[in-house]
Amino acid sequence: MATISFDLVSPENLVFNDEVGTIIVPGKDGDLGILPGHSKVMSSLRPGRVMVYSEDKNLIKSFFVSGGFAEINPEKCIVLAESVVEVNSLEKTSIEKEIQELENKEGKESEEQLSVAKAKLEAINVNYYDKI
Amino acid sequence: MPSLKDIKTQINSVGSTKKITSAMKMVAASKLRRSQEKAEAARPYSSRLEEMLSSLASSAASGEGIIKLLTGTGNDQNYIVVPVSADRGLCGGFNSSINRETFKLVKSLESNGKKIQLMPVGKKSRDFFNRVMKDQIIESFVDLNVSSTGYESALNISNKLQELYFEGKFDRCILVFNKFKSAISQEVTQQQLIPLDVSNSEKKEEKENSSNAIYDYEPDEETILKDLLPKNVSIQIFKVLLESDAGEQGARMAAMDNATRNAGEMIDSLTLKYNRTRQAFITKELIEIISGAESI
Repeated sequence: MATISFDLVSPENLVFNDEVGTIIVPGKDGDLGILPGHSKVMSSLRPGRVMVYSEDKNLIKSFFVSGGFAEINPEKCIVLAESVVEVNSLEKTSIEKEIQELENKEGKESEEQLSVAKAKLEAINVNYYDKI
Repeated sequence: MPSLKDIKTQINSVGSTKKITSAMKMVAASKLRRSQEKAEAARPYSSRLEEMLSSLASSAASGEGIIKLLTGTGNDQNYIVVPVSADRGLCGGFNSSINRETFKLVKSLESNGKKIQLMPVGKKSRDFFNRVMKDQIIESFVDLNVSSTGYESALNISNKLQELYFEGKFDRCILVFNKFKSAISQEVTQQQLIPLDVSNSEKKEEKENSSNAIYDYEPDEETILKDLLPKNVSIQIFKVLLESDAGEQGARMAAMDNATRNAGEMIDSLTLKYNRTRQAFITKELIEIISGAESI
């Protein structure tokens, strides 16, 4: 089976770079599953999980991104994300606390942060896509 | 003529200065390596973003809303100049060349009838412009510490700039910073940040179009462009901050290397002087003893 090269880039560094089987990215209008040979797409992302699978459909890694862009062509998929964390390293209690604090604040900025934090919490709680 | 003790004290003080400068040099060298790594790590992101942007730039037709970051306000009257300096001194001409260049730029723009505002980044340029053109500073950023805080610090500056831009406070934004060329040389560079300088990305676009087929856009080109443009401003600032940080460490390393060498030379010449003086003293005493013995 074919593989597709996947780069996950944050402003600070190159987080992930390898040949993989499948990637799922949280596109703005809905999740995109990317297999080798995907047509050329450029999409912006919403906060959510970027899931990386090996050729035999085993989950290798899942990242949380707070938004960004994906550029996809048949051989390569590049995700530019503003902040990247591995889902496993997220802590539920600290995020819940953050949400509580942000809910009391007002303003556009904290609203944005709140939606990112809520998406983070969701990323920990849900487990669909764990097996595909 | 200075006494032996005076010279001795001087040698000692130059010696301790030498120790400090050589320590600073070594610290700067290790920091330089780290800053350089950081700057290199940030490169894939910014170059990718630029590529995306250049392939999208053609679709920006109207000059409304966020697209203004690309197309400009249509005016060319109010400028904002952002000199990026270091927070600390002792790095040769690093800060003063930024300040001098910015000052020259401001004066030349003013003589063309433009209105200039300043937004210094880094203590050294803030202090300088606080002295010479205080009333033109609208905001300043100090203690950014980009190598430890990372992207956040760039985001603050970029948010402030965009806020001012959309309030219509300025039409053009120019960054003045030290571009990192190599560990020992930096080049003062001016970069137009807002509106985006498309002259060099247009060239890239041609290349892009010839090698790549057309992309599908999701949700659509304009939405992506609207997301992309503000990010591009932040990432450009981030890149500049990292370059400037690496440049600062490089400049400090070179300056401290020079200082260490000069201190070494000074110690040599002082030691020579010390020995000569001591010899002269001994000779004088000998002559006194001999002439004393002769007179008996």
